[in-house]
Amino acid sequence: MSFREAELIRTFCSMCGPAMGCGINCYVRDGRLVGIEGMKESPVNRGKLCAKAYASMQWLYSPQRLKSPLKRIGVKGEGKFQEITWDEAIHIIADKLKQQKDQYGPESLAVLSPQHRSYKDYFIRFLTVHGSPNYGHSGICAMQRAFSFAYTLGSPFLNADYENTDLIIVWTANPAYASTPTGSIKRILDARDRGAKLIVIKPELQPDAAKADMWVPIRPGTNAALALSMLNVIINEHLYNHEFVDKWCFGFDKLVPHIQQYTPEWAEPVAGVPASQIREVARLYAKAGSACILAGNALDQNVDSNNAVRAIAILIAITGNLDKPGGNIIPSGSSMPPVKPVNPRDRYTRDLVDKLVGPEMPKFFQPFIEGASSAYYHCLNSVLTEKPYPIRAIIAPGTQPTVIARNSKNVIAALQKLDFFVVIDVMQTAAMPWADIVIPVTTMYESDHPFETSGNWIMARNKVVEPLGNYKSDYQFWLDLAVAMGYGNEFWHGSMTECQNYQLENFGMTIGELRNYPTGIMYEPKPVVYEKYRQLFASPSSRVDKGPYLPEGKVAIFNTTFEKQGFNPLPEWVEPPEGPTGTPELLGRYPLVFFDTHTSDIYHHGWLRNVPYLREVQPDPWVHIHPDTARSRNIRDGDWVIIESPHGWVKARAVYFPGIRPDTVMGLHGWWQGCDELNLPGYPLLDGGANVNILYNTEPGKAFDPLVTAMPKQTLVEVRRAECRE
Amino acid sequence: MTKQYGFYFDAGRCIQCRTCELACKSTRDVAPGVHWRQVVETWSGSYPHVIRSFFSLSCMHCAQPACLAACPVNAITKRPADGLVLVDTGKCNGCRDCLEACPYHVPQFGKDGKMQKCDYCAGAGGQPQCVQACPTDAIAAGLLDDLLKKPKGKLLKKMDGATGPSLIVTTWPE
Repeated sequence: MSFREAELIRTFCSMCGPAMGCGINCYVRDGRLVGIEGMKESPVNRGKLCAKAYASMQWLYSPQRLKSPLKRIGVKGEGKFQEITWDEAIHIIADKLKQQKDQYGPESLAVLSPQHRSYKDYFIRFLTVHGSPNYGHSGICAMQRAFSFAYTLGSPFLNADYENTDLIIVWTANPAYASTPTGSIKRILDARDRGAKLIVIKPELQPDAAKADMWVPIRPGTNAALALSMLNVIINEHLYNHEFVDKWCFGFDKLVPHIQQYTPEWAEPVAGVPASQIREVARLYAKAGSACILAGNALDQNVDSNNAVRAIAILIAITGNLDKPGGNIIPSGSSMPPVKPVNPRDRYTRDLVDKLVGPEMPKFFQPFIEGASSAYYHCLNSVLTEKPYPIRAIIAPGTQPTVIARNSKNVIAALQKLDFFVVIDVMQTAAMPWADIVIPVTTMYESDHPFETSGNWIMARNKVVEPLGNYKSDYQFWLDLAVAMGYGNEFWHGSMTECQNYQLENFGMTIGELRNYPTGIMYEPKPVVYEKYRQLFASPSSRVDKGPYLPEGKVAIFNTTFEKQGFNPLPEWVEPPEGPTGTPELLGRYPLVFFDTHTSDIYHHGWLRNVPYLREVQPDPWVHIHPDTARSRNIRDGDWVIIESPHGWVKARAVYFPGIRPDTVMGLHGWWQGCDELNLPGYPLLDGGANVNILYNTEPGKAFDPLVTAMPKQTLVEVRRAECRE
Repeated sequence: MTKQYGFYFDAGRCIQCRTCELACKSTRDVAPGVHWRQVVETWSGSYPHVIRSFFSLSCMHCAQPACLAACPVNAITKRPADGLVLVDTGKCNGCRDCLEACPYHVPQFGKDGKMQKCDYCAGAGGQPQCVQACPTDAIAAGLLDDLLKKPKGKLLKKMDGATGPSLIVTTWPE
């Protein structure tokens, strides 16, 4: 019997983030989810889904789902728990937070950033009402690019105008595996099919690079070197748009002498790209009728982050590709009424921001667009250093600090020392053994809230199946905790219905009325308007003082705001803490560059290794290695190998990968979990396991971008055959 | 010849995202370890001039199915109405002669030992799930004659092969 004969309930995905999820048609028989398909009416995914979503029924019904709140009864790290009720758990947490607030101040609480973003607004509200600014944002995702774009071009976000472009540069993004169904890869392939050229800059030949007219196999962590040398070519060969530079750019005259040091010949040994190819890319980009850049997440993850993104922003501006047809465009906004925010953006004060334990961006620039934030790693590290003060309680909702933060050794030491640790997830997690309280929550299929929006579309979430255990949603958790803390007035007295009705006030409808539209409501898109420079370059910033991002009202090539705060006014090259040109003395022992990808076709960070349909595709931790590099080490395809950096070692299976730089090897982060159904093992978190985050440098002063945190995911290693797996 | 349904595959748009594989498994309840559809990759050239290609492989409902010819118990038939190659698991004796015969290694065997493979979602209604799911529209399904007329600006051909696979491919690289 086809699943399509079962009852149809429409909802949307929330397995990945940060954006609004893809619409899903769910088919339910006897209270059990028996089939899913993409929802054609959703403008987000237009009936498409990804491999992970199609495997999500096994995720929903996994034996590793958490069923009841837990209280730790063993020692930390041991993993012994006793089941408690939801209300007991809420009250234990509330009592502890009240006591710590009295004893150490409210800023002693930090909440780490989750994967799916819509519920961060709820705990940012909680933190703000509580009196803590310590939202622990990863420091390595999206906000790094957004910050540098905002302070250079006036907008944190740029879209690529694929439909009108002559040339696309994918710059260390992975549109094939990230948000696959939402369309950027389809739009890129459509553009290519109608004749646009495609250049892909990344260290290995991922599927998008396999489609490219030109692959630029850059060495990991050297994006700023490449971008600066492209500026050198474009400026010295007068390939820039003089009119735009004269009218709309500030400080171009200071860039010209500054950029002379960054010749393609200088960049060649640093970025590992031939000078001739750098010239070719620069010329193709500058001479194209129109060209757009898709700047990816790897730009958020090295000490050169702010420099790389600022240099790319300047490339976009001086070539005349900013907010032009076929270029990088500023979203025109939506005709949908604004949702009233849960995030209390207007409540930040200088006093609150000054309490940040380890600001993700310097305090002057806080809050940034998501709210005030400390860096995730700094929140954890403060427990050990007690500087400027120790965080006393950490809540980790939908995030796995022991496998996705750098320096897992430090992270585990911090969790060992921490006064109070709460883990919130749908599934067992790697950090759970250190938790004092574990809060299980609903998957997207077990909750009827919240509604979500994307562009011009709004839709209510519908509950597909009843929760499989004694738990509620992650949203309801924050409301319940707020009520128990005495903050109920600020949290709709614990009612998600009231909360959603408040958010929908501008729509003139209640959440109940929104549910009358089973596939949501589409509003008319606003017409695209190009060249919105006057408005764009006057944008007020997110800071407490609300001063403009661009005080000169022009593209900040020379950045006076950064200069006044003690940072470099022009983008410059900064060597990663370990690399062939920065630390050649390490090459004898560690001759290869290692980096890891965060974007997988089948896994999601530290999750989903327990899903049989996915685990069978990639059963073992892997490392991509060029066959020549492998053979010279007597490593056969499929051998278990040891990857050792100056900071730790992991094991993985060697995968011969002809499309990777021979001086570079690449792994995937997030390995720790076993898969019971396929009898496949989990892995230790530290040396000898498969957790690549133990390989990286986290030395203060070396491993952080001073403006945006951006800890590197790149180091030097040696790879050798393991005698056997164990 | 009667009507022949088949697939269309544009390697230039396949990104090995595996959505087709997982859509097939999830919606048809295919067991782990069994692959009715699978994306395979091939490499050629040498660094940095490397070519990486993907091919989403399932049963191609051949004009002259080698599996059918090899089956000793007549469990495999070619349906006259649409040309689909289908297996009667009630008749299958699990001898795996079909696997031996198929040049593309398509036949699969689960725990029950009987042959199983892509049935084009025949009977499930609508397009095959892999086609519906493909985020880049690299796969299509329909009458072969219609598929040959598919997109403008692509060079199309019927895939070569002794068994006459019912698959229209784009030529890649160009």
